[in-house]
Amino acid sequence: MKRNRLVVASVASTITLAMALTACSSGSDAPADDESTSADGTPEPADITLWLAGPDTPDALRDYLTSTFEEENPGSTLTIEQQEWPDLVTSLTTALPDAENTPDVTEIGNTQSPTFTTVGAFRDLTPLYEELGGDALLPSFVEVGMAEGKNYSLPYYFGSRYMFYRKDIWTAAGLEAPTTLSEFSDAVKELHTDSQSGFAIGGQDWRNGISWVFANDGELAVEEDGKWTSTLSDANTIKGLEQWQDVFEGASNVPASAMDVAYWDFLNDGTDGEAPEAATIMAPNWARWSIGDLTTNDDGEEVRDGMVDDSKYDIFGLPGVDGGLAPVFAGGSNIGISAQSQHPELAENLLRIIFSEEYQTMLGENGLGPANSDYVSSLGDDKFAQTMIDTAAVSQLTPAAPGWAAVEGASLYEQLFQAIAEGGDVTEIAAEYDEKITPMLNNG
Amino acid sequence: MSATSTVASDPAADAPDRRREQPPRRRRRPRLPYALLVPAVAVILVAVGYPVYWQVVTSLQEFGLAQQFGAPPTFVGLDNYARLFMDPSLWAVVVRSLLFCLVNAGLTVGIGVALALLMNAVGRVPRLVLQVALLLAWAMPMVAAVTVFKWLFDWRSGVVNWLLVAIGLDQYQGYSWLAQPMTFFLVASLVVVWMSVPFVALSVFAALTQVSDEVLEAAAIDGAGPWQRFWGIILPMVRPVISIVLLLQIIWDLRVFAQIRILQDAGAPIDQTNLLGNYIYELGLGRQDFAGASAVSIFVLLLTVLLSWPYVRSLLKEDEA
Repeated sequence: MKRNRLVVASVASTITLAMALTACSSGSDAPADDESTSADGTPEPADITLWLAGPDTPDALRDYLTSTFEEENPGSTLTIEQQEWPDLVTSLTTALPDAENTPDVTEIGNTQSPTFTTVGAFRDLTPLYEELGGDALLPSFVEVGMAEGKNYSLPYYFGSRYMFYRKDIWTAAGLEAPTTLSEFSDAVKELHTDSQSGFAIGGQDWRNGISWVFANDGELAVEEDGKWTSTLSDANTIKGLEQWQDVFEGASNVPASAMDVAYWDFLNDGTDGEAPEAATIMAPNWARWSIGDLTTNDDGEEVRDGMVDDSKYDIFGLPGVDGGLAPVFAGGSNIGISAQSQHPELAENLLRIIFSEEYQTMLGENGLGPANSDYVSSLGDDKFAQTMIDTAAVSQLTPAAPGWAAVEGASLYEQLFQAIAEGGDVTEIAAEYDEKITPMLNNG
Repeated sequence: MSATSTVASDPAADAPDRRREQPPRRRRRPRLPYALLVPAVAVILVAVGYPVYWQVVTSLQEFGLAQQFGAPPTFVGLDNYARLFMDPSLWAVVVRSLLFCLVNAGLTVGIGVALALLMNAVGRVPRLVLQVALLLAWAMPMVAAVTVFKWLFDWRSGVVNWLLVAIGLDQYQGYSWLAQPMTFFLVASLVVVWMSVPFVALSVFAALTQVSDEVLEAAAIDGAGPWQRFWGIILPMVRPVISIVLLLQIIWDLRVFAQIRILQDAGAPIDQTNLLGNYIYELGLGRQDFAGASAVSIFVLLLTVLLSWPYVRSLLKEDEA
C-alpha cells in the first residue's frame, strides 16, 4: 500500500508539473503548420502553394488553375489548400512571416487586407498592376489593398448581398417589393408572426446589419490625419443602428446571439409542406442555389431548383432611405503574394493566370464578380446578375484601418449588434463600443 | 528562464529532497534513478521550456502584429501585466473560470465516484455494459461530442427543445440555450462533465477493486452499516486516487478551451462566456496582442500551480508518512 502511494504521489507531481507548464502554451502554440508545402529547396521549377478561403472558389476553377499553371510552367506544380474563413487571419498571422511555411499566394478577405499590408506581409505588386488589369480592376478593392501608395493586394472577386423573399406570402398580404427602407421595415413587421419571421436576421449578424448604417450615410470609423476614430456615436450611425434594432425586434424570430445562420433554409417550405420560417432574408447572391422547390439533378440527387417559380420566390436589392438602393457590405476577397515567398516569379505567373480573360470569365460564369470590370458581363443578364451588379455598384467596405482585423478578431461587432438586438439603449451602447474600438483601430 | 519555471519545478525538486531526508540506514544514494529521469526532463525542457521562455520574454515586451512580421520588439517591463490587471474584464474572466473549474471538477468527481460504487456493487453483465458505455463516452473525440451537444440544444431543431415542448413547456419553442451566460454554462458543463466522468469512474473503480473484502466483512460483522463502511473504510483507502483525479480535473477544467469556443461559434454572448483559455486566444490571435496574451498565460500558469499546490503537498506528506 505504501509503495503504491509513493508511486501515485510521484506520478501526480510529475503530471502536475507537465500540466502546469503546458497550461500556458495553449495560447501561443501556433496551429501545426503543413509540412507538405515546403519547396525542397529546388531553385527554378518548384511547387508553389495557393491558399483559398472557404469553398467559395468552385472545384472547376481550382482544376483550371492547377492544370494551366503546370502547363505554362513546365516542371512546377501548384498546390491549392483551402483555409476556413474564421481561422484565416490566425493562419496567415502565423504562416506569412515564416519563409518555410508561407503560402506563396493567398486569398484574403478584402477587409482583412489592411492589417497585413501595413506590416509588410505582402510583396509589392505595383510593377504588375498595369499588366494585370490596371484601372479596370475594381477600384474600392484595389484601394483597400494599398499601403503607402503601393499595391500589395489586388481584387480577387466581389460578391454582393440582396434580399430574397417569398413573393407568394408578400402578395397574399397585399404587399409588393418595397422602394424605400421604411417601407421595407413596415412590410416585414406586418408579415411577422410567432412562427414566421417577416425578416429573418440574427442579432450578431453585423455584416448584414451595417447596411442600415450605410443607408443613413453613417460611418463606422473615419480617418483624420492618419488616425482612426470609431464613429458609432455619430448621429447618422445611431439613426441607422436604431432602425436596424427596430426591424430586428419587430420582424425577426432569430435569437439575438445568432450569426451566420443558414437563412436560405428559412425561405423553403418545410419537409412536410409547412409554411416557411421566414418571408424575407438577406444573403449573398449564391444563396439562390439553396432556395426553391425540390427537384432532381443529373446525378439523381435532390436539390433546390434555384428559384424557378418566380411567383413564389423573388429578389430585390435593399432599398435606400429615399428610394434607390441602400449600400450593402461588399463581400469579396483580395489576393496577394507573400513577402516571404521563395518563388515570387512563379507566384507572379499564377497571378497572370488568375487575371487572364479566361479565368475572369470563369469567375463570372460561376456567380463570382470578376475583379476586372471588363468581364463583368460574364455574370449574365438575368435579374440575379443585374441585382448583384447594381447592389455591388453602391456597396461599401468596412474601414481600411490597420487594426480592423483585430476588431473583427475580438468579435466586437458581434457583441455590439447583439447588445442592440437585445433592446439596449443604442446611444449608450455606441459610446461604450467607440471607447473600446478606437484604440484598437490604430494598432498595426 | 525565470521565477516562473522555478516555482513550477518546485514539486518535482521537492520529491527527491524529501526522500533524501528519509532514514539514512536505507542505502547509499543511487545514481540510476537520476539517469532514468534525464529523458523525461530533456523532453520537458525542449517541448515546454522554450515556449515558456519565449512567453516570459514576450510578456515583458511590446509585441503585436508588426513585431510578428519582423519589427524589433521593445522591452516594456511589467507594463503588459499592469495594463491587464487594471482591466476589470480580466478579473471577471478569472472568477468565471475558477467557478467553472471548481464546480465542474467537483461534479465530475462526485458523479464518477458514484458510478464507480455502482459498478462495484452490480453484477458482471450490468458492470460490463456500464464500462463499455463509459469507454465509448471517453473515446469520443471532443470536437464531435461538443458538436453533438450543440445540435441537441439547437434553438431551431434541437431535440431538447422539441422534448420540452412535447411535454407541454411551450416557452421552450425556439429557446436559445446559448444566448444567456447561465444556460450557456449549463450546456458547457454538461459536455465537460459527460466527457470526463468516465476517467474518474474507471480510475476509482480500479481503486475500489483493491479494497480487501476481508476488511469490509470484518467491519460488517462488527456492526458497521453501509455508510459507515463507505466513510470509514472505503473512502480512506481510495483517497489517494480520488485526490489525484480531483487534482487532474481541476487542472483540466481550468484549461477548457475548445468546448467553449465551439459553443460560442453557434452564437453566444462572447465577452460574457469567455474563460481564461478563450480570453488568451482572443487577446493573442484575435487582437494580435501577443504580449498581453503571454502575460495572461503566465498568470494562468501561476494560478494552476497555486490551485494544485495543496494537493501536491498533501500527497507528498502522505508519502513521507
